[in-house]
Formats: sequence, structure tokens, C-alpha cells
Amino acid sequence: MNVAVMKTKAEQAIAENFEAVAEKLPGSAAVKARRSQAIGAFSGLGLPHRRIEEWKYTDLRVNVKDVLPSAINDATPLTIAELLVALGPLAHVDAHRVVFVNGHYRADLGDFSDAAGAMIAPLGELLSGASEDVIAPMISTPEGGDAVETLNTAFMTDGAVVTIEGGASLAKPLLLVFVRAGTQAQSVAVRNFLSVGEKASAEIIEAHVVLPGSTHDAQLNALTEVAVGKGATLRHAKVAADEGKALHLSNWDVTLAADATYRSFQFSAGLGLARNNQNIIFEGEGGKIDLSGAYLARHAEHIDTTLVVDHAVPRCESRELFKGVLDGRGRGVFQGKIIVRPDAQKTDGKQMSQALMLSEDAEFDSKPELEIYADDVVCGHGTTSAQLDPDLLFYCRSRGIPENEARALMIESFIGEAIDKVENEQLRDALTAYTMQWLGRSPRG
Amino acid sequence: MLEIKNLHVKLEDEGREILKGLSLTVPAGEVHAIMGPNGSGKSTLAYVLAGRDGYEVTGGDILWKGESIIDMEPDERAAKGVFLAFQYPMEIPGVAGLTFLRTALNSVRKKRGEAELTTPAFLKLVKEKGQKLNIDIEMLKRPVNVGFSGGEKKRSEILQMALLEPTLCVLDETDSGLDIDALRIVSEGVNALRDKDRAFVVITHYQRLLNYIVPDKVHVLADGRIQKTGGKELALELEKSGYAEYTHKAA
Repeated sequence: MNVAVMKTKAEQAIAENFEAVAEKLPGSAAVKARRSQAIGAFSGLGLPHRRIEEWKYTDLRVNVKDVLPSAINDATPLTIAELLVALGPLAHVDAHRVVFVNGHYRADLGDFSDAAGAMIAPLGELLSGASEDVIAPMISTPEGGDAVETLNTAFMTDGAVVTIEGGASLAKPLLLVFVRAGTQAQSVAVRNFLSVGEKASAEIIEAHVVLPGSTHDAQLNALTEVAVGKGATLRHAKVAADEGKALHLSNWDVTLAADATYRSFQFSAGLGLARNNQNIIFEGEGGKIDLSGAYLARHAEHIDTTLVVDHAVPRCESRELFKGVLDGRGRGVFQGKIIVRPDAQKTDGKQMSQALMLSEDAEFDSKPELEIYADDVVCGHGTTSAQLDPDLLFYCRSRGIPENEARALMIESFIGEAIDKVENEQLRDALTAYTMQWLGRSPRG
Repeated sequence: MLEIKNLHVKLEDEGREILKGLSLTVPAGEVHAIMGPNGSGKSTLAYVLAGRDGYEVTGGDILWKGESIIDMEPDERAAKGVFLAFQYPMEIPGVAGLTFLRTALNSVRKKRGEAELTTPAFLKLVKEKGQKLNIDIEMLKRPVNVGFSGGEKKRSEILQMALLEPTLCVLDETDSGLDIDALRIVSEGVNALRDKDRAFVVITHYQRLLNYIVPDKVHVLADGRIQKTGGKELALELEKSGYAEYTHKAA
């Protein structure tokens, strides 16, 4: 459908923004050409709005009023000590760190020289030196595709390009840290490429964190393209912990080769407006995915989880479990589409989405969509929304546990069921710590 | 000493009066059984003592150690030593038994002005108290009561009671759903807690439990009031003659 609509103020600002920074964005002539194509494509698409089914509950045309200046050639100073403060509970996760500040790679803050089996390079440098034939397969410009991804191509400054060698097994997780620092309002676009070679095994964590005292006026567009090779395993996590105002647009585009395993977890707290998109395509038989996540929203925060799982081939398995806690006027959106193509026999898919509503004004919109074109499949989905059980609260309180503590215990237990999906114990502990922080409580000893 | 004085309670939702001038005194060191037909107000009494929402006290008072507790929150009452063993203990998915016990114990200790227990001290205490009730640590690593049998749930209630060391123990139909072996273990657990400083209110429909937990006094509750008080032999009498006499009187 191609409806000509008046450009919004934000859409105009995006176009002007691009004009202003195009020359300063990293990249060879080939890359610059891609960027121009992308902004052209965006001009046709505009910001996604509620009349587009996938954006029904998260209307960017209404919600994105202002476009913040792009952080280009940013060199905001950040010390290791400040990095650790920004990382908060994640500082305790033993990992190789690859660090970006305001969308720009910072070699001085990273620590991955001994990550055997992994090749890691900053995208910004690659873009500058790249010729058309190198960059073409990496950056596709979707025609009539996703507007947010199109904007990512136009504005991306940096990101991590990670290649895990075939057969390698990383001893420690890779932690890709994206820090926001400084007092300048900013719009940042980053893109990561993660490629896990045949029979390799790795854990990669993306963290979007803020140095306390930094600007709250922030817009992030982060796209991660993932290819999990034949028989390989990737445990992929994203932690976005902010302070309640930022716009967070995230896309994960994942392909799985035969017999590949992909486990992901996304944690979101304190995001003004978040869209967490995951597009998964099974390209070879025997693939397995386990997608899960937890989100916490209060005030007028809005967190959208949208999944598209494409069972394009037979004998693949998909599991999804997402849990949200909604307080105040917080809003949770869950859209889970599972497509089972005509040939995808023996598909096994299960999906669950649950919300815990702590206030009368909270809202949860849940839309599971199963599109099944094969006949020999097992697919199921469920969705629930509930309040804290008053009988359980009374039970806890009759044992001397004060009301706020009892409520926290119930909320932790609800979210804990999702966090338990994370295999890395240190990461689990960090996520529990974030949850406790959100609840305004000190960690349980 | 527990003193319940002319207590009137109605259900907040329905407005129906359940307790209609109930008076009862249980001195420290004694076990008093409350027996009565279904619908007589036994469970309401248990919940009102523990402070559950949904009940409105329209008259009278409940004094525990001389202090009125009717305006206290359930957790305040727990800190004051009130404990209700539930007829149907709740399952709490996602909260490990040990976490729950430790949170409860330290909450109560804090309010009682005692230091919180360290992890080793806590585990030692749980092991020791659990042993007598056939509850091992592995069982407590599982979520609270989830997947437990009826007997396991009641044992876990008594373990909570033993850990929190209440001074007023209210047992609501603790015998329901128990076979003879479980009944014996639970009763032994309760009897081990009998103490000169501790008062027990044992609510039951059947006399059977009172063979194991021998009461000092038995009260018959019907139509929201204590209709008769006697010694342990009153329970045997009721077992023979039933509650017809009292329900008739009430009607």
C-alpha cells in the first residue's frame, strides 16, 4: 500500500538531519551511495504508524515528535571507572568488552585482545575502507522494507562486526557495551554484524547503558544482523536499562543454518518508548530457537516486543517466553507472529506472553499470530495478564513480610521465571539486580 | 493471654454478619480447641485473628497480651507473635522456600528488634527445625509449596511456625487432608512447640486431631458465638452426638 501522506515535522527533520551530516558519516563512496538510497527509501516510507498492522500499537508518527541531532564524530571523554559505573550490575559479568560511547568505537575502553576464536572489528573503520563488493552483501537497502532499518542504514556510525571462527568455543561472553554519556541531546544509530561459524559456540551480550548524569534526551536505533552457522550455538542477550525517557528502536535480524541453536534474552527497563523487534528465519532443518525476555514499565513508558519467526523449512523448534511488569500508565505490547511455511512439516512452536499489571491505568496489548500452512505441526501460544494475587500477599504478610516487600517478592518471582531462561549465572544475577533496582530495593543477601 | 471480647464481624462484600458477639479467653501456655459445624464462623475467626482483608470488625475487640490488634496489619501482628497455620497453604511459584523463610524470619526479627540471621546461621536453624518435621533443605530449594502433597504443605506450615517462634498459634483445620502418618508428624511438631509462654487456638471440625494435640479446653462455636465450653471430654461428646444440638439452638 502506498499512501501519500503529508510529512510530519519529525520526518522533515530526519531528512534535514541527513543533509546536514551526510558528508561527516563514515564510509567510502559505495557506502555513501547506500546511505543516500536508504534515505530516499525512507522518504517514501515515512515513520511507521498505527495503520500499518505491525505498528498498530506503537505509532512512531504520533510518538516521535522531535528528532535529536545526530552524534557524529563524538569524542565525549569516558574513563574506565565511569564505564563501570554505567555498567552497574553488568560490571560483575566476566566478559570481553567491546565499548562504544555515543555510537562511536572506543578502543581505549575495550578488553578483548585475548578472545581466542573471535575476530572483532569496529564497523566505522570497515565502512571507511570498504569497496562496493565488500559492503554490498553487508548492507542491504530494503525496498519498501522496514523504515527503522532503513534509517539505520542512512545514519549508522559504528558497531561491532564479530566473526566467530568455525568450531571455536568462546571461553567468555562478548559484551558489546553502548554507553550514553555527556549532556548533549543525541540521536545514535549503530549496527552490529554477528556471524557464528559452523559448530562454533558463543555468548554475546549487548548492553545499552547510561552514565548517570547524562542527557535523557536520547534516541537510539540499533540493528544487529545475526547469522548462526550450521550446528552452531549462539546465546544472545540485550540489556537496555535507562532512566525513563529515551527512545529505543532495536532490530535483531537472525538467520539459522541447519541444526543451529539460538537462545536470546532481552531485558528492558526505564525506556520511554521501546520497540524490540526480532525477525528469525530458519534456513536449514533442525534449527532451534528459544527467545525470552522481561520488561518493566511505569509512568508513561511503552515497551513493544515484536517477533516474527519464520519456519521456512521442516523440523525446527521455537520457544518464546516474555514477561512484563506494568505499573502507572506503563504499556506493554507483545506481537508474536509464527509463520509455518507449507513445507515446514514437523515444526514445533510454543509461545507465551504474560503481563503483571500493578495499576488500574497500565495497559497490555498482546497479539499472537500463527500463520500455519503445513499440516503436521505442533504449535501453541498463550497470553495472560493478571494482578498481584491478594491471597498470596496476605499469606506472605501473615508470615511477617511487610506489604511492599511481599509485593516485591511476588514481582521478582514473576519476572524470575523469565530471567531463569538465561544460562549465564552472572548475567542472571545482574538482571535480578536491575529488577531489584527498579523495585527500589537493595539486593537480597 | 488472648482475650476476644464480644467480637462482631461481617463480610465486607456481602455485609453478612459471621461472628455475633464471640468472647473467648486463652491464657498463655494453654491449648484451646474451637470446634463447630461448617459455616459456624471458625475460619472467619482464624482470618480475623491474622488480619486478612475482607472482614469488618463492627464491634468488640481482640486483645493480645493486653494490646488491641484489630487495627494492626497482618505483618505487624506476625511481629507481635501471631501465627496462622492455613487450612490451604498457598503455593508461591518462583519463590524458593528458603528465600521465603529467610525473608519472613528476618522481617519478623527486624521488627522484634533482633539482628538478622546470617546465611550459615539461618541454614543451620532451618536444618535443625526441619529435621523433626521430615523436611530437608532440597525440598526448600523448590518454590514454596509448589507440587507439595497435602501432608508436605502442612509440615511446611509447621516449619514456618517453628522458625518464626510465635506466641499465639492459630491452627485452621490443620488435620484436613492428612493421613494418619502425616497427622502424627504434624501433631508432634505442634506439641514440641507447646510452652508456658505460648497460646494455641486449634480450630477443627473433627475430634481426631485432638487425640494428638490434647487441648486444655474445648469450645463449641456455632452461629458466630461460643455456645459451650468444656474440657477435652467435650470433644468426645461432640464426636458422638454431633453438632445438631447447637445448630438447632442457633436456629
